[in-house]
Amino acid sequence: MSLIQVTGLEKTYYGDRDLETKVLHGVDFSINKGEFVAIMGPSGSGKSTLLHMLGFLDEPTGGNYFFEDKDSLAYAKEEVAYLRNKKMGFVFQSFNLLARTSVFENVKLPLLYSDVPESGWAERAHVAIHAVGLKHREDHEPSQLSGGEKQRVAIARALVNNPEVIFADEPTGNLDSKSGQAVMDILQRLHEKEGHTVILITHETYTAEHAERIIHILDGKIKSDDKVANRKRATTFIK
Amino acid sequence: MRFKYHFTTAYKGLKTNKSRSALTVLGIVIGIASIILVVSIGRGAENLILNEVSSLGAETIVVRPGKQPSGPSDFTETLFSESLIQRDLDALLKKANAPHIVEIMPAVAIPGSVSYEGETYRPSILGGDGDFFARTFNIFPEYGDVFSEDDIRNRASVAIIGSKVKEELFGGSDAVGNFIKIKDRKFRVVGVFPKRGQVAFFNMDSLVLIPYSTAQTYLLGISHFQELIVKADSPDNVARTVYDIEVTLREAHDITDPENDDFYVETQQGLVDQIKVIIGALTAMLSAIVAVALVVAGVGLMNIVLVSVTERTKEIGLRKALGATERDILLQFLIEAVMLTFIGGVIGVLIGALFGFLISLAITTFAGLSWTFTFPVSAALLGVGVSVVVGLVFGVYPARIAAKKSPIEALRYE
Repeated sequence: MSLIQVTGLEKTYYGDRDLETKVLHGVDFSINKGEFVAIMGPSGSGKSTLLHMLGFLDEPTGGNYFFEDKDSLAYAKEEVAYLRNKKMGFVFQSFNLLARTSVFENVKLPLLYSDVPESGWAERAHVAIHAVGLKHREDHEPSQLSGGEKQRVAIARALVNNPEVIFADEPTGNLDSKSGQAVMDILQRLHEKEGHTVILITHETYTAEHAERIIHILDGKIKSDDKVANRKRATTFIK
Repeated sequence: MRFKYHFTTAYKGLKTNKSRSALTVLGIVIGIASIILVVSIGRGAENLILNEVSSLGAETIVVRPGKQPSGPSDFTETLFSESLIQRDLDALLKKANAPHIVEIMPAVAIPGSVSYEGETYRPSILGGDGDFFARTFNIFPEYGDVFSEDDIRNRASVAIIGSKVKEELFGGSDAVGNFIKIKDRKFRVVGVFPKRGQVAFFNMDSLVLIPYSTAQTYLLGISHFQELIVKADSPDNVARTVYDIEVTLREAHDITDPENDDFYVETQQGLVDQIKVIIGALTAMLSAIVAVALVVAGVGLMNIVLVSVTERTKEIGLRKALGATERDILLQFLIEAVMLTFIGGVIGVLIGALFGFLISLAITTFAGLSWTFTFPVSAALLGVGVSVVVGLVFGVYPARIAAKKSPIEALRYE
């Protein structure tokens, strides 16, 4: 049983004056539970659009997407909110942390929308923050953090509900190589130690090679889908 | 999401934009403060007038000739009707007819002026019963005395004058014992009322009171009364006495159908009810104007919440990506709007009450009226309730817009 399966997935944007932009031209693949997959391609290839649809942030205009063997269109609005909350964790290129809100509160945010009893919130948030090595930054606000630290907060936030799959959209795109290494290290460890499914979007071959498998997308079509032969290991920054 | 967290989230949202929140809420504050002010002044005026009226005493009943006026043109009928005469007075004074009547003062008004040694003044001249008048309005001559029953019987030319009349005609010298002229007839001043101002329908200071019989015979040349002021033995028997008066007078006037009554009866309670209706209508009208102001404030609020929704588009997208449902987002912005208007309502109530109090203080100090400030509890509750409703009504639209945002478009928003 695959966690994610897409068949003939298409996405067309309809602009003004019948301007159509077809971003995805029928994509097929499936991802199993526990895989670490990189979706790679140059900008404008449709890789981000694909990720958004996998994360239920956007809807396909053609083809099918099955999450846990159920068609994405068959999920009700509340079920989609539940999936995003409990089954998926998002890490964005631009961090998307709430300003003027502490690291602790930012990480806690998904718990507010979850069915986790309130008594367990603080503990979960502490564990997630600890896992990304930011214990000493809990009370800081995003404006007081470096880019790499911000992204680690975002990862902690994605982890806090212990999701099935983590979607990371260019997580190292705004970071220097050292901070990027730290982020990749965390993702690799979440995959190996905790068994999370990780789906990573990147345009850099080097970053993509940290995954087990690379789906190469070009002009809205899959160009290749291969196992990574010489897998990169991120330098360990956090004990 | 737990309801409590909608509140903390909304509260944080408001705190982040303190000055904008304050400006948004200003319209609500002014609206609610105006309502409280209008109602509190209305109450004060009502109390003032009711106190004046009830100084006549709840057991007082007034009988007037003619039909009950239902419009301004009907008053002429009352003024020219001659239906109440001495015979009616005698009939009403019979215990068998109206057992609860204690006494009756007939009254007539005399147009004209008074003069003394070249000084002339235009007072209100009333033909009545000195003793009854003094007891009913609790005002007794400062100098001299009231005229007596004998004076009424003998149609004596005597007068009690108010303090202002005394001052205008006599200045500093004594008035009692001197003769004033009303319509070329000399009246001996027997008493001077102390300075008292307005009591019930009369300004005691510019009043001249003479025996009604003298006024009827020598000044007006009429045999009817313009008013019969009746005292019942207790306020509880007023209704019964009104009935007795109606039955007695109908019999005396050979009237079988109450439609044809040539007199009408007014009680203090009736007057009080009328005044309450008038002030209530005024207050309602002013409140309606304020309600329009509140709608305008609501539109302003809607605009600002909409701006806030647009500004926080990215945050909405993020919250949705993290699992917020449409309901969560809707509640967050709706609670923000309602919180704003609720706070505005409370501040408005406080400011309105403060101004109401200051105005009552000013009226008592500068106008010398016994104006009492009352905090209008029901209006305060209504005011806060209305502001919450304004928040709900005008918050729903922008909150729905926020809730319906597609997460990815919201996240992409720059």
